[in-house]
Amino acid sequence: MTPPHEFRLSHFQAMVIFALLVSVAFGFLSRRGSYQRARYILWSFILFLLIGVGIGWAMYPFSH
Amino acid sequence: MPDEVPIAETTNAVPVAQSASPHHAENREGRRRDALALIIAAAAWFLPGLGHALLKMWGRALVCFSTVALLVILGASMRGNIFSRSGEDAFAKLGYVADLGVGSFYFVARALETNGPDVSHANGDYGTRLLATAGVLNMLAALHAYEVTRARKA
Repeated sequence: MTPPHEFRLSHFQAMVIFALLVSVAFGFLSRRGSYQRARYILWSFILFLLIGVGIGWAMYPFSH
Repeated sequence: MPDEVPIAETTNAVPVAQSASPHHAENREGRRRDALALIIAAAAWFLPGLGHALLKMWGRALVCFSTVALLVILGASMRGNIFSRSGEDAFAKLGYVADLGVGSFYFVARALETNGPDVSHANGDYGTRLLATAGVLNMLAALHAYEVTRARKA
């Protein structure tokens, strides 16, 4: 039985939250200035998602 | 070999008395800065964002605190595994090191997970990864605060 306070996420939702939080932290730690940070965060977030989905598809043939 | 300079000549080239005092002051300053950097790094590890807050980097402090806190809260709410010291295999030991990276939030995660971990479902497994990510991210932030204090980074 699932406790009422347990948080449930799909794999994709967990990946999006992970990518967003890590990208924001990376952007603030490695860049100065709002524009540079925003660019880095966006770029890093997109790459996290694309590479994540790409690796998922690359593993797809081995799951059958 | 004819071009070779004798060692005695190179070591005695600069008289010690001329370079001693500025060199010593520089060394003392360097040691003081290293000690301060270690204290800042320890503070950054213990409470995420505290290291940057001590350096008056408010934006970075806020982001470090909130990202690590969110990852810990999410990971614990998803019933991720919080590794303990008594790990049996290498992965459990590595997981413990990663989880310890969140500093005092390790105990927050333990307190939040009242029902204990449940990795029999994928959800708990994602939670385990989020908790480990929080720890590694906080260690990276602590290292950044250390490097900033030693004036190696901006």
